[in-house]
Amino acid sequence: MGLSGDQNSPGSKLNLHLNHTHKDSAPATTSEVVATVLSLLEDGQMKPAQFARLQIHLDWLQYKHNFREAVTVMQGGEEQGEGAAPMEIRIDSRQVAPGSLRALLQNAMHPAKPDEDTGRIYFEGFRSFRTSIVWEFNRLYWQRLKDWEKATGKSYEQALPGGKSDGNEAQGVAEAAADFWTLLKDLESQNRLPQELFILEIGVGLGKHAGLWLDSFCALDQGRGTNFYPRLRYLLGDYSLATLEHCRPAVKNHLDLCSFIALDAMDPIKTLSFLRHKVLHVHSTNMYDNLPDEEVVWRDSRIFWVQSRAYLPPGDAARISKACDVAVAEIPTIVDRLLEVGIAALPDRAKGMVFWMEVWNAMRTEEKLVDAVDMPDASFPAGLSSAHMEDILRTAPNDLRFHLSSGALESFRNTLPLLHPRGYLQVQDIFATDLQDYSMGFHGPGKLDGSIVNWVNGALLREVAERAGYDLHFAPFKYRPGSKTSVLYTTRRE
Amino acid sequence: MTLPILPTTMVGSYSMPGWLERLKTDYFARRISRHDLDEIHDAAVRSAIKDQEMAGLDIVTDGELRRDNMIDYFVERLPGIQIDRSSKKFYYDFYDSEVLGKIPMAAVGLVEDFRFLLANTERAAKICITGPHSLCKRVRNKHYPSEEALATDIARVMNMELKELVKAGAKYIQIDEPYYSGFPEDINWGVKVLNILVEGVQAKIAVHICYGNRYGKPSWEGSYRYLFPAILDAKVNSLSLEFARRGGEDLDLFREFKVPFELGAGVIDVKDNSVETPDIVAERIRKTMKVVPAEKLYVLPDCGLFHLPRDIAFAKLRAMVEGARIVRKDLGK
Repeated sequence: MGLSGDQNSPGSKLNLHLNHTHKDSAPATTSEVVATVLSLLEDGQMKPAQFARLQIHLDWLQYKHNFREAVTVMQGGEEQGEGAAPMEIRIDSRQVAPGSLRALLQNAMHPAKPDEDTGRIYFEGFRSFRTSIVWEFNRLYWQRLKDWEKATGKSYEQALPGGKSDGNEAQGVAEAAADFWTLLKDLESQNRLPQELFILEIGVGLGKHAGLWLDSFCALDQGRGTNFYPRLRYLLGDYSLATLEHCRPAVKNHLDLCSFIALDAMDPIKTLSFLRHKVLHVHSTNMYDNLPDEEVVWRDSRIFWVQSRAYLPPGDAARISKACDVAVAEIPTIVDRLLEVGIAALPDRAKGMVFWMEVWNAMRTEEKLVDAVDMPDASFPAGLSSAHMEDILRTAPNDLRFHLSSGALESFRNTLPLLHPRGYLQVQDIFATDLQDYSMGFHGPGKLDGSIVNWVNGALLREVAERAGYDLHFAPFKYRPGSKTSVLYTTRRE
Repeated sequence: MTLPILPTTMVGSYSMPGWLERLKTDYFARRISRHDLDEIHDAAVRSAIKDQEMAGLDIVTDGELRRDNMIDYFVERLPGIQIDRSSKKFYYDFYDSEVLGKIPMAAVGLVEDFRFLLANTERAAKICITGPHSLCKRVRNKHYPSEEALATDIARVMNMELKELVKAGAKYIQIDEPYYSGFPEDINWGVKVLNILVEGVQAKIAVHICYGNRYGKPSWEGSYRYLFPAILDAKVNSLSLEFARRGGEDLDLFREFKVPFELGAGVIDVKDNSVETPDIVAERIRKTMKVVPAEKLYVLPDCGLFHLPRDIAFAKLRAMVEGARIVRKDLGK
């Protein structure tokens, strides 16, 4: 959408990009944004050159709980005037209090100078999002899930859309088990069935998927008299020993076939190298969306890295200080301790819990763009070179911000070598399946309870897969109406 | 040219550099000309030869860097095969190809590339050819009554070409037949067409049979037992088999079937980026020597090094050569 601006600069225009506006509020919100920006221009509070290079994204945010302010600004490069990089303003109208938009926009137009004290409590310097402290909070959540669930009074599954994991949908699991049986039957008919039939699940949750899958397969195998079941070797892999322990009851009827293995989801081959080319099926649900990620921007045929730094807004810092009896200046130190020892970071564990939840809920990130040429040491995840990336982007829309899905790509790439020549990978998750999807909506990161939720760049996964010898397919998850989950599965590429 | 005991060589392909991949793809996207690509290939092949020499190999190849993959280099040259040139997304994809009529007896045109190899090394040189069984598995047969009939005619044409290669100076020729492992039920006729291919070819001939290396991963799994006894009728000098990744269990087949051939033993795992130590290589060679005497043994990687990064491929070759030297020393050679 282009709008004419200052009469002295007839070529000036701003770009207004409507993303996730809700149909009921969109007209009023959009009008208010346009009117406010034009009035700032007319009042001289916005320069024509700024206006000419201005891009506004509305509504920027998909997830109500997220890491952004109501209005955020991001400008790439330091240049001014005609050569200036475009200024981007992102607005989350759900966070904008009535009557506050003008002030918020004015503030956004005049961001603080680097050494200016804004009162924000910073937890880190600018860095790739994948190394941000927010992922440490994500780890803390999974490692100390019981504390969080006790405090909120609900299990993590209840926090999911639909109230339970799509990985535990009985019909879907039964069909997946039947597909696996078909593979075994085919291998048997060719006299190529291995003696031991390895299956790996990465990220096991409460073990419900594994239990359901084994129940289904056992019943099917017995019903058809094939006797494959005793040859199964079901590996439950997770980075949390506590989680592995918790999931044992869910597979209690199949314990003889199960192994519980602590592994890094981003590098399964490291732990399981003895199973290289032996695993017939790998499954995971809602795991990729929870692995460290970073974002890049493709603009004017150049790649920019998005750097971020996490902080607490001053008002929130003051409130947490008061609620938890800690000095504002001590908050970063206590956060470090929290990440190390959990809610015992404060003498009063109840206050420790409050501190954790309040800091997490209030945590925001500032962002800036850095031209890739200024970061020669920054690298794309294994499997993606910058040359490869430019090839991919050659046909992509200009001005695209997208996830690199670094953790998911690493996990994927480091899982493929485990697969038997006829083996396949199946992942249930939330995927952007085409780079174009990023022009049509925002896909995280958001906060889901105490963890991070983030869409996964399926388009990049597909590229990496093709070069590793697999075709990727995405099928809608048909077992829960309205589910945003897709099912990724691999087939061998000839 | 006299070779030492336990001669070392590659199976065929050397590491494909990222820059060459990109330029090949640029060629298919019509961003660079055929002339430029030929010059680029020449430079890459010289570099691959130099690396093999520096690593200390006794027999070198051209690294197969002119080839998009093990199939297309040949189907592009074989007379009578139709190719859909729009069917590749990446250079290493296979073309869609089909045969609509009888394959005519005509030159295939491999000699020029082999002469380039000879001109750029003073070491013994080997040329590797994809065998008729593997080729016929990737070509859609719309003419012949059977795959065997198609493979037979491919073998006849390629036999002529092998004789031209011998005239040009080829002393070591390797036939690659990995698809035997994918289609073990074909082994009887596979050996028959192999014999047509090599009939009257006056060179040392090896047949390389692995479990596939497409995209650096195996295409099949199993045991070499399916080769026997049919393979014993093959008119070749040696078998080149993979043992490093799969372990040496199948070595016992050599004892069980009193195999008359020399053995090219795979002692380097080409599907794993970790580099073997020379001691591990030496141990693998010694294990093989319990079944096949050193005089009948060649030392090779399991398969081509195409998918390995160059530094790793080079380090693996160095380890292989060093491992062979350790065993030669054991033998007092």
